[in-house]
Amino acid sequence: MNHLLAWIVAAPAIAAAVLLVLPDSARLPIRLVSLIGALASFAGSVVVAVDYDRVAGGMQMAEEWSLVPSLGISLKLAVDGWGVPLLLLTGVIIVTGVLASWGVTKRGKEFYLLLLVLVSGVFGVFVSQDLFVFFLFYEIAVLPMYLLIGIWGASHEVPQRGPFGFAWKRFAVGGKEYAAMKLTLMLLVCSAAILVAMFLLWKEAGGKSFDLAHLEATRFSLATQNWAFPLLWLGFGTLAGVFPFHTWSPDGHASAPTAVSMLHAGVLMKLGAFGVMRVGMVLCPDAAASWAWLVGGVAVVNVLYGALCAASQTDLKYIIAYSSVSHMGVVMLGAATLTTTGWNGAVYQMFAHGIMTGLFFALVGLVYERAHTRAIAKMGGFGHVMPAVACFFTLACLSSLGLPGTAGFVAEFLVFLGAAEGAHSWWAVPAVIGAVVTAVYVLRACKTIFWGPPPTGEFAHLTDARSTEWVAPIVLGAALILFGFWPRFLLDFIDVASSTFLARIAPFS
Amino acid sequence: MSAWLHLFTLELAVVAIALLVLLWDAFAPAAGRAVGWTTALLLGGVFAASFFVDGRGTVPHGVFVRDEWVVFHERLFLAAGILGVLGSIDWLATRTPKRQAEYYALLLFSLAGMMLLAGARDWILLVTCFELMSMPLYVLCAYGKQDGPASEPKLAAEAGLKLFITGAASSGLTLFGLALVVGMTGTTHVGGIGANPAPLTIVGMLFVLAGFGFKVGAVPFHMWVPDTYQGAPTPFVAFLSVAPKAAGLATLAIVLLGGWSADSSVWLPVLLVLAGASMVVGNLFALPQTDARRLLGFSGVAQIGYALLALGAMSRGGLAMTLFFVATYVFTNLGVFFVLHAAAEEGGGHSLARIAGLSRRSPWLGGALLVFLLSLAGIPFVAGFWAKLFVFMEAWNAGLVGLVVLGVALAVIGLYYYLTVARSTYMADGDRTTPVPTGFALRAAILVCLIFVVGLGLWPRPLVEAADRAAAGIVSGR
Repeated sequence: MNHLLAWIVAAPAIAAAVLLVLPDSARLPIRLVSLIGALASFAGSVVVAVDYDRVAGGMQMAEEWSLVPSLGISLKLAVDGWGVPLLLLTGVIIVTGVLASWGVTKRGKEFYLLLLVLVSGVFGVFVSQDLFVFFLFYEIAVLPMYLLIGIWGASHEVPQRGPFGFAWKRFAVGGKEYAAMKLTLMLLVCSAAILVAMFLLWKEAGGKSFDLAHLEATRFSLATQNWAFPLLWLGFGTLAGVFPFHTWSPDGHASAPTAVSMLHAGVLMKLGAFGVMRVGMVLCPDAAASWAWLVGGVAVVNVLYGALCAASQTDLKYIIAYSSVSHMGVVMLGAATLTTTGWNGAVYQMFAHGIMTGLFFALVGLVYERAHTRAIAKMGGFGHVMPAVACFFTLACLSSLGLPGTAGFVAEFLVFLGAAEGAHSWWAVPAVIGAVVTAVYVLRACKTIFWGPPPTGEFAHLTDARSTEWVAPIVLGAALILFGFWPRFLLDFIDVASSTFLARIAPFS
Repeated sequence: MSAWLHLFTLELAVVAIALLVLLWDAFAPAAGRAVGWTTALLLGGVFAASFFVDGRGTVPHGVFVRDEWVVFHERLFLAAGILGVLGSIDWLATRTPKRQAEYYALLLFSLAGMMLLAGARDWILLVTCFELMSMPLYVLCAYGKQDGPASEPKLAAEAGLKLFITGAASSGLTLFGLALVVGMTGTTHVGGIGANPAPLTIVGMLFVLAGFGFKVGAVPFHMWVPDTYQGAPTPFVAFLSVAPKAAGLATLAIVLLGGWSADSSVWLPVLLVLAGASMVVGNLFALPQTDARRLLGFSGVAQIGYALLALGAMSRGGLAMTLFFVATYVFTNLGVFFVLHAAAEEGGGHSLARIAGLSRRSPWLGGALLVFLLSLAGIPFVAGFWAKLFVFMEAWNAGLVGLVVLGVALAVIGLYYYLTVARSTYMADGDRTTPVPTGFALRAAILVCLIFVVGLGLWPRPLVEAADRAAAGIVSGR
């Protein structure tokens, strides 16, 4: 099919445009149109995965339209080995996300509209081969978050601490609005940093083209790289939850509605890591090598600090949110190793963590809708009344701690192996300790909530998943196991891209 | 005379419409919306004609030059004028049904002044056009003195008086400066400033700069902006906040880049200080505002700072991007004020609390407001993004790295207060739930603004190219 990638990107946007003309009251049509848009993109991603030539590798299915010739901006889409698994991930998460939020009643039309626009942006980032268009799509993916969290978020108290809390006094009207504003402003400051780095690179490459292939062909001077790489690392990295700029993530994810948490932790944080690797490291290979000690060191802090924070939380959503910070640390650690194994692990972890955290947030949303509390101390024995939910939650926990047979194991194992192979083999030690801490907190949460004596009182009549709610746990749970046992399917794609990109980083290839 | 009269076809047409409207009112005073619609349609005709009237040329002695620069500005001012008239029709017909025609006539006279201003290359013509533009604005500013909301009659009078006094003072400054300049250089031609670079010429030019600084509302000459925006009738503020500022910037470009480029080492630091101060003060002072119009007033000061920054790049590209910036600003700011006007017209003023829940009462109005705010903040896929991006790029290329970094940092602060307005629209719950009643004309004006803002966000190329052609008339080369 012609322009397959363009259709994947456009399908959710077209569905969003259709939603515009539907009346607010048309509940079912709104959901069906959204689902069709999401399914179309997912189906397109599957076709891409089937059609992509894994032996040849490189950029495939390219298409191009010129946008601003004077600056050399063109809408150039193509997919590489990294793009395929991430497209699949986005497709799975949006389809399950739409189904998981089937019950959204408040201003449903606007909710689905923003969700679909956001997903268009995410698909766009993964297939853009023009740095400027990459950035534009990145912005579309980030901005709707403000409204999605601010309007549909959970009204709970977010502790307003630090400099941002001080600046917020005037509008301290609700936790979700605080969280939304914090997330938006932090990410947009970082966008400004990305923009500056982009223009640094563009200018040195001749100021003719933002084409990534053109930029890759340029060997930038060390001075430029040493300016651009930190800007790109922090700019994109903030979205990946890089310490100490991760603070938007727990507040944001805890405040967001279920589908938005799924998308944000499952897919959007990957945009950040993807940006650091695809743009930062590939375009600035020398700086990436010379800054690797810092990137990896901070990633190790992420892994450990995120895990320890998660271990001390009492709110279920905060636990999962901090676990994302910790797991994204694993991705960044894999990236910092600058070895093929580490990079394969990093991309695999993006996929595995996306599926896993999507499953987590879907289940947490399910539990919250029934129990109306997220304080784990109040819960207990839910496994008796919602056995299926308990089952899937345990599966997600096991993947989270890296049990062999789940996708999480493959990813973490590859990253640790890459770390041991790389220049700073000691990184593997704290990273493995982080995995142990993960085991402590996920198992503790799992035990407290689901196991133990049957619940009494208000929790005695909770019910298991119903109708559309089944889809997210089953699909995502199956994916966790499938890609735990059959990692080659994705690794074939990832490996061919990792080796190509890594060849640019001379000292380690 | 007939050899160059055709250069003024469009300006004469605008004046003719103004006279027609006045005569109509004198002989057949009509209530209702007929006068307004006629004005808007005739202006639309003039706008359409601007694509067919192809007069380019120079009036003897170079007093007036009609080139791409003037054509660009004529169209821009006409567009702003048409939208300004459209946005006022419903307000005038309900609030001051008995005296509508003079409003349109005054607005058209001001418009004619702006259109002439873009081509003026002689100090006498330039100052005359500037006054022709400014005088009607003083009157219009206090137009709601008796008919405004009962709570705010004094605000309207204050607005008018403030604009008048600062305007008159700035005209005085300009004239005093020009007396020195013309005395020292011995010519009234704008291009002759460099003829005698004596200290007194420079002193005179600094007075002229200060005068123009008042008109565009750059810091430290900005104090009239928030008060005037708050007190004057909102549909008029929409026009006031864009067209005269665009005209003021055009004049600055003619004088600085066109006439006085030889001594740029003298005025460039002044211009950059004005730009930096406007960005800082505008953005920071907007933060604590609770009245939407005051907030937008300070935001306007900040936007002028960005425009001056691009002017400070002193290149053809920089000037072109100033034009692009101003053009997008025209449509965006008109749109914002029209939506606020629609929301406030039910009574109750313009505090941010008034627009609470707007998106649920009227989703399209709320959505339009969000788009305009994002454009002001410089977010991708709306026109304002390209405008800010191009401005920063040109300034960066010209070596103004420090100011670009400052501007980017302040743009994030800007995003914060624009989002607080969006927050009121989308997240706060208002006390009313019925749709906001809006007249057809106002809706049409908002829709046109929306189309331009979104259209230019998706496809900025035509305007970039037009702006580049226009800039070539002032700064040659690259």
